[in-house]
Amino acid sequence: MSHFQRWALALTLPAGALMLAFYVYPILQVLGLSFSEPTPGLGNYAELVTNPAIRRVLWTTVQVTVPTTLITVTLSYIVALAMVQMAPGRRRLAMFLVLVPFWISVLVRAFAWITVLRRRGIVNSTLQDLGLIHKPLALIYNELGVVIGMVHYMMPFAILLLYANLSDIDQSVIRAARSLGARRWMIFSRVWLPLSLPGLLVAALFVVIFSFGFLVTPALLGAGRVLMVAEYISVQISNTLNWGVATALSTSLLVAVGLLVWLATRHPALRAALEGGRK
Amino acid sequence: MSDTSLALPAEAPARANRRAGLMRSLETWVPRVLTWVLLGFLFVPMLVVIPVAFTDRSYLSMPVDGLSMQHFRALADPSKGWIGSILTSAVIGVVSALSCTALAAAFSIGAWLHAGRWPSLMRVILLSPLIVPPIIYAVGMVRLWSALSLLDTWFGNIIIHVILAMPLAVLAISGALGNLDPAVVRAARSLGARPPMIVTGVILPNLRAGLAASLLLSFIVSWDEITVTLFVTSRNIVTLPRRIWTSINDNVDPAIAAIASLMLLITVLGLLARLLIWDRRGAEKTNHNN
Repeated sequence: MSHFQRWALALTLPAGALMLAFYVYPILQVLGLSFSEPTPGLGNYAELVTNPAIRRVLWTTVQVTVPTTLITVTLSYIVALAMVQMAPGRRRLAMFLVLVPFWISVLVRAFAWITVLRRRGIVNSTLQDLGLIHKPLALIYNELGVVIGMVHYMMPFAILLLYANLSDIDQSVIRAARSLGARRWMIFSRVWLPLSLPGLLVAALFVVIFSFGFLVTPALLGAGRVLMVAEYISVQISNTLNWGVATALSTSLLVAVGLLVWLATRHPALRAALEGGRK
Repeated sequence: MSDTSLALPAEAPARANRRAGLMRSLETWVPRVLTWVLLGFLFVPMLVVIPVAFTDRSYLSMPVDGLSMQHFRALADPSKGWIGSILTSAVIGVVSALSCTALAAAFSIGAWLHAGRWPSLMRVILLSPLIVPPIIYAVGMVRLWSALSLLDTWFGNIIIHVILAMPLAVLAISGALGNLDPAVVRAARSLGARPPMIVTGVILPNLRAGLAASLLLSFIVSWDEITVTLFVTSRNIVTLPRRIWTSINDNVDPAIAAIASLMLLITVLGLLARLLIWDRRGAEKTNHNN
């Protein structure tokens, strides 16, 4: 190795060392603790399967993640597809409306939804003033509120991913389909949809991964009544100090995320979309 | 449709035309209207924090008998702690952004100059906080920081923020490096430039946009960080997200609406500035995204 190459390699060391010491090591320690705390063995994992409270938490996580993902991806696809075909001026306005929620703090967004959805929030008081309802609707502190907040959190992200993916589709294919007399629906179902399927799956993958481990929005909009994995882990660490279960759940979460990413990278079209989305 | 055209040959074409026209306009207008409704769903709910910030009541509500500035004044009152938290977040944000950008720049330049197994493996690790749920990292850091007595310290928080901002910093800087022609390095080397000279004199001046993006992105990551912060801070270090979290959970105080309005205002102004600059550049040089 030449002097120059050694020099280049040395430049990569500080960041690498920092990540190994304060990112990789603590996460490996979590994996290790899940097999050793409080007693060595697979006891914590057995508890994940048998403990009814944990099974309920896992079930709630799935119950929130599945609708969140389906709704987010469908709605984001509608917006992204329209944005690709918009005139530049309108597209800029649309982009602005997507980017403001994208960049604003997740806490500000959760707080805004609390203001809108709570018992005496804007939706309920408007509906009551109009005489449409007599009792306030339960829009928050339940799964509905969590799904609304999560869809709102994930949508800008999914729109940007899908928009990048749809922009890469060669517009001349669309023009060709149109000149051959294909109608809008036909162009959508036979051209746009198949060409953007990898992008759609990647967007869905990211939404699933983010939803699985999401703490803030479910905790604030669920207020302890919609207990998902991340919040359950947090309770185990902060209140009950049950490190064995907390680390075993964390490990399972990490394995689930790793498995999803691995599955995605095995498929060439998905891998291409994944790398394109990272740009 | 073919049945009717057989049964009523004279009227059929006109009716079929009308129906096709209706279908066409439905196909055009339904997605278009739906798109703007959805864009409204993304943007409008956040605006409610503005009227709530000006409420004349001490609880969360729309203004009743007029507008009041009391909740903005509460933000400025040092005894309420908001100012202290804003300063804490600003200091941690600036220090983290500078450190993270320096580390990410060194790494990206090193990996760009010498591609190999170690740099590409490290790159995956540096980018992994983008995918790994932060709750897992939080569990690990509580354990490690309590062993090292770094819970609730400036240093402990800054390290975590640097690491969480690393993926975006690396992506911003290596994106800028991707636009740089490796031939400039060969030219500099053949002219006898030493490695430090190549980095500071040849590469870094060409990375200004990437470094600026990295500073901004890592500051934003730090400014907004909440998940890991919740576990590694208590009384000593109360960042702004931590204070917002506590006040949402404890008492829904309209001061949160005031701080949320200010954050919304800054985000909107920042994006407008960016979109306007982007516009001007786009007009000068078409097809220039990212």
